[in-house]
Amino acid sequence: MIGPATVVGVMGLSVGLPRMHKEAGERRDFLPRLVSFLDRSGAGDIVVEDGYGSGIGIDTRAYLEASRRARVGTYEECLAQDVVLVLRYPGRDVVRTMRPGQILVSMLHMPTRPERVELMAELGIRGVSLDGITDDRGNRLVQNVEAVGWNGVREAFKVLAKIHPRFAHPSRRPLRVTCLGAGAVGAHAIRAATRYGDPRLREEMVAAHVPGVEVTVADFDLTWHENYMLTRLEQTDLLIDATQRQDPTRVIVPNDWVAALPQDAVILDLSVDPYDFSVDPPKVKGIEGLPEGDLDQFVFQPDDPAYERLPPGVRSQHRRVALACYSWPGLQPRECMEVYGGQIEPVMRVILGRPIDEWDPKLGSYYERAVARAEVCRWRSARTG
Amino acid sequence: MAKRPHGLSFGLPRMHKERGERRDFLPPLVGRLADQGAEVYVERGIGSGMGFRDQDYTDLSPLVHLASNEEAFRADVVLVLRCPDESEFLKLRPGSILFAMLHFPTRPKRVQLLRELGVEAISMDSITDDGGRRLVVDSRDVAWNGVEAAFDALEETWPDLREPSDGAVRVLVAGPGEIGKHAVEAATKLGNIERAARYAREGRRGVEVLVVGRNLTANERHMRGCFGGTDVLVDATQRDDPSTPLIPNAWIADLPPHAVICDLVVDPYLLDEDPPTVRSIEGIPQGNLDQWIFMPDDPAWDLLPVGVPSEHRRAVASCYSWPGVHPLPCMELYGAQLAPLLEALIRAGGMDGLHPEGSYHERALHRASLRAWVGAG
Repeated sequence: MIGPATVVGVMGLSVGLPRMHKEAGERRDFLPRLVSFLDRSGAGDIVVEDGYGSGIGIDTRAYLEASRRARVGTYEECLAQDVVLVLRYPGRDVVRTMRPGQILVSMLHMPTRPERVELMAELGIRGVSLDGITDDRGNRLVQNVEAVGWNGVREAFKVLAKIHPRFAHPSRRPLRVTCLGAGAVGAHAIRAATRYGDPRLREEMVAAHVPGVEVTVADFDLTWHENYMLTRLEQTDLLIDATQRQDPTRVIVPNDWVAALPQDAVILDLSVDPYDFSVDPPKVKGIEGLPEGDLDQFVFQPDDPAYERLPPGVRSQHRRVALACYSWPGLQPRECMEVYGGQIEPVMRVILGRPIDEWDPKLGSYYERAVARAEVCRWRSARTG
Repeated sequence: MAKRPHGLSFGLPRMHKERGERRDFLPPLVGRLADQGAEVYVERGIGSGMGFRDQDYTDLSPLVHLASNEEAFRADVVLVLRCPDESEFLKLRPGSILFAMLHFPTRPKRVQLLRELGVEAISMDSITDDGGRRLVVDSRDVAWNGVEAAFDALEETWPDLREPSDGAVRVLVAGPGEIGKHAVEAATKLGNIERAARYAREGRRGVEVLVVGRNLTANERHMRGCFGGTDVLVDATQRDDPSTPLIPNAWIADLPPHAVICDLVVDPYLLDEDPPTVRSIEGIPQGNLDQWIFMPDDPAWDLLPVGVPSEHRRAVASCYSWPGVHPLPCMELYGAQLAPLLEALIRAGGMDGLHPEGSYHERALHRASLRAWVGAG
């Protein structure tokens, strides 16, 4: 039987890298470079799950070659190490198998998932929420919003290319994209849209003298305006929701308005707010009547059975081809994990370099401050006083 | 209690470029350096352009000292945002580190002079993470301050804007890159959150932003077609060929008379160079921190280089240093971005301790050093 995690000595902490088994389309694993980094940063055993990396074409042997401390283990063995690093939260049943004192490093989304925080506190499991790691000004240090914008837009243009009658014809007018929201995700989506989400396709279109793409951006000071929006939607080939709503119980584009879009228009959901009818009033998507997608399916034709599974009360009579995926970065798993791996390296240096209770959110180094702020116990204490 | 001096001293001379330059590094950054054990020599009057007193700095730590401009230049590390005039380089000690926006790629003469003087240097504009993203940059304030100024001007040129209306202000942003993406967000908020809230409260116009990239900006028919309905034209482009304007002066005739041109690119006119550099929007003046709004009858147009067409004019917002328009938030941002880098430099004990394979910030500093630049060249 395995005893409490060896967090006292810290230097020499073992690290487990379990795979993510959420759905078949989830292919992401960290790259061997991170294992090499963990080794150099003083990790003890590094246990990678059997088959780690296979979803992105990396032989598990590459991880063993990256560190002499690395070995292959089962999912359960990975979860038994001092530090468990896994991008997506593994779920409450899995967390319940962990021991007090272990450190779970994952996207915990503490503000919107308080039950996770409470569960870990109850079990005595320490945690660092990757999405909560911010610099002194509150900017996230582990994030990939660029991939959200680019991957979503690229897939949307692939669909549009199939259904737009003159997509690649030099005589067509510029394609018209309407982007709702101009924040962090919207900024990347706008830039991606001016390039069809694919710089190579853009070069081909330029070479063929095909007019490009114009993007119209409307924020909350216009999206409420029905006449404006209906006129705008009538002229839209691709409608993008990149909003961050303050009130997720209110839709921005009611399903009736979707009828104003041309029949061959495409809708792209980048905000990926979930439906939640367990609360009153229920939380809904910004564009009413869109299904929820994942890495197994993110394109939905108007007759897709997914529409029948929408919660009762969600109007979906008016439909266009829609794209939604809770994890757009996962569409390009290797590139995604290169980004996350690079961002996580200095985080892991803190975790492996100093006992968790000694991290100083005020006087520590830049990354120590950032990681300390995202540590579950400190975060919980700050909220509960 | 202050830490024992760490070994490195820092000098913070002021920037005496023009009257409107009010920026200096703020007390929190100076305090951070002292907390790390560094002696800090700040030029007298530091922060006065933003309402700070010398005492706000010296009260931070016994390691913070008031100094003359010359004394500040004699420290181990001379930290200043804008590159000093090259005549001031003579004040630097050989072996000291000049830490500023040095723009190595476009200033070969500056690089040569630093080498001749035996001065080490780290260029803030070259500090990037492993993915090549700049770590010391204020592109957000370039966009927000520029767009704010453009809307200030628009309120002058278009009095109807102050009235309730169901219509929209139409903004055309050319160039959706790093600056452009912030410009889009800023435009949706009329360049100013409070103004956006006021407009919403009073039932005034909302804002519609049209964004075009390179594949349309070169299309004269399309662009001129858009101009007729454009109230604010924002140039946030990055040209491959700076010898050719993106928007010839003749196109400006298609903008409504009340339209405002917002220049976020701020390329200079360098007609004597080969090839010459011309402004992206032909025939507009370039502003600075003393003046950044130009109405069509402003004398600045008469100062344009001979031969530059400027017959068609609209109100222009242009400033070579948009972040400096609001100096306090600008320096708060730069201070926050620089603090971990300077801490890493102090821990390393200077240039010799910076390793290309060191920590995240050490690597970033090393890549931005004159040593690395010369080595790469």
